Amino acid sequence: MKNIDILVDNVSCVRSNNLIFDNISFNLSNGEILFIMGPNGCGKTTLIRTLCGIQNLEDGTIKINNLNIDNPECNFLENLLYIGHNNGLFENLTIYENLEYLNKFDLSNKDEFINNSSQFLKFFKINKYKNYLVSELSQGNKKKVALSRLLFTNKKIWILDEPLSFLDEDSKNNLIKLFLDHINTGGLIITSTHVDFSNYFEKSKYLMMQGIDT
Amino acid sequence: MNSIIFKKEIYTYFRSMNYIFLPLIFFFLVISIFPLVIGPNKSLITKIIPGIIWITMIFTTLINSVNFFKDDYNNGVIEMYLTSEKSIEYILFLKIIICWFFTIFPIIIFIPIVSIMFNISLHILTAIFLTLLLGSPILVAIGIFGSALTIGISRNNILGPIITVPFYIPVLIFSASAIESVSNGLPNDLQIYVLLSILLLVLPTMPYLLKYTLRISINN
Amino acid sequence: MNISKIANLKYFYKHTENVTKTLSFITFFLFIAGIFWGLYIAPKDYLQGDSYRIIYLHVPAAWMSLQVYIVMAVTGFIALVWKIKIMEIISIQSASIGAYFTLIALVTGMIWGKPTWGTYWVWDARLTSELILLFLYIGVIVIYSSFSDKRQGAKISALLAIVGLINIPIIHYSVEWWNTLHQGPTVTKFEKPSAHITMLAPLLYMLLVFNLYFVTVLIKRVRLGIFQREKNTKWMENYLND
Repeated sequence: MKNIDILVDNVSCVRSNNLIFDNISFNLSNGEILFIMGPNGCGKTTLIRTLCGIQNLEDGTIKINNLNIDNPECNFLENLLYIGHNNGLFENLTIYENLEYLNKFDLSNKDEFINNSSQFLKFFKINKYKNYLVSELSQGNKKKVALSRLLFTNKKIWILDEPLSFLDEDSKNNLIKLFLDHINTGGLIITSTHVDFSNYFEKSKYLMMQGIDT
Repeated sequence: MNSIIFKKEIYTYFRSMNYIFLPLIFFFLVISIFPLVIGPNKSLITKIIPGIIWITMIFTTLINSVNFFKDDYNNGVIEMYLTSEKSIEYILFLKIIICWFFTIFPIIIFIPIVSIMFNISLHILTAIFLTLLLGSPILVAIGIFGSALTIGISRNNILGPIITVPFYIPVLIFSASAIESVSNGLPNDLQIYVLLSILLLVLPTMPYLLKYTLRISINN
Repeated sequence: MNISKIANLKYFYKHTENVTKTLSFITFFLFIAGIFWGLYIAPKDYLQGDSYRIIYLHVPAAWMSLQVYIVMAVTGFIALVWKIKIMEIISIQSASIGAYFTLIALVTGMIWGKPTWGTYWVWDARLTSELILLFLYIGVIVIYSSFSDKRQGAKISALLAIVGLINIPIIHYSVEWWNTLHQGPTVTKFEKPSAHITMLAPLLYMLLVFNLYFVTVLIKRVRLGIFQREKNTKWMENYLND
């Protein structure tokens, strides 16, 4: 099993000439979960986007196994599954087609997907919407479709932006169960959240962000 | 890898037939207005109809590609593409080709109807057909590049065309010249070869350029 | 000189404060001298008489319009690849300056056109290419101004400038080719080899003066650009209070 060490060292980010966050550092290894919390506008989403490599850093480094994420040898995208608060779904495809498509991107086993798809759709209770277009779903159900990617993937690093938003109680609990399974099999999770659900986890790490006072 | 990714692009156009028909209708609508403003001067119109067809094609392509990435951007799809280890270049290439095939190619198929509307002779029609066939994919590819540059800007409906049209000019010049040579009884091989070489240069490189541009555009 | 120091905005801003005044004076006087040289001292052309003298503005302006585009594209490239802030500012300020040069080239071209060909405008290769160049400049300027995040705007406009640079020779040669099919050799051909040295010398001189003008205006504009970007930072407040 692959050993993964994420080291974030003193990163800061500037957007539209405004300093969003400053001096953020943490490290994370296999079997650990990081909760990023803070008031609105403190830069949680921006930090998550820098961790995924789609937002530029002003200062500092992000390293995985001692290789900078910009380094092509680092290959961290092979281990990364990112679900932002925009879901990343195709509105004009059905749930099943979306998952079939995303299956290609998430280091999943195609046969496993085909054989077990109905089972997995039942996990978040969206199986009856299987052939609905995503554009016809409610916000919560769209979120569930996006999160269903986590059921198929073999990727180790999960970076999720407010995954519990819009979910009903049942699905929240199921998602937390999913996180626990992932942690226990050596995965890493970085999640931003308004709700503190770290009590379910034995070893949680916290990153409290304060935002910049102008 | 091929099937669902390919199928998905096609479903976009099949699930809403608007994507296929609206550009076609727009093209013929605009072509039909020209005689109204130029006047019923038959010989004049026959002389300039290749230019009219090409300019209308340019406007149709521009309006069609201006918001190419808008939905994908708003839905977080581009973020998903850029945070995956799969190469997005292939997907972008498919997007360009399939967009052209479903939105512009139908127009090219219906060009013979234009020849009936305006009395175009067969050898000129062939030249028009050939230049459109080679040139319109280039227009689509460059138009999609323009839309990638302007993703982050709201109300980019006029801005996209402003930055894209200067890049259309060489294609326009060689196509117009190819058609004109034929109407003068001269060979147009040179122009056709130039169009073909531009096509073969632009199509393979555009996906890489698009990926780079998308990376910058979502980094706001 | 140490590159990182030039790249450093603070360093540039502090050390160019007095340079611009001197440069402006020098440029102004050299320019007046050049105008005098071109308008009075240079000999009459045996074909066009005195009306050819506009080329002492037209040709350097046209040359600069192209040269500044290259500067804009190259500094844009450096800004994209090595992420040097001052290159971003130089690139975007060059866009405005280059657009003005293009406009001057077009207007002086039109002024030259009236006595020479009888019309203000003719669709020959040079003027048409120059007009398209103006649109390329306008595209870069407009796309930069549409972004609220100026760092991102600078990157996108740099990308557009670079792709436009590749496009310029293609446009020029296709327009020239289209023209030779229709009209024969262009009338605004730069007659470098056949011009007498007494006509050529003021032209080259004006070219140098235009370049000096470009550098002067560029430094001023870059200082303005640095101020706009950094006006809320501590070093700028401290510097202005001194």
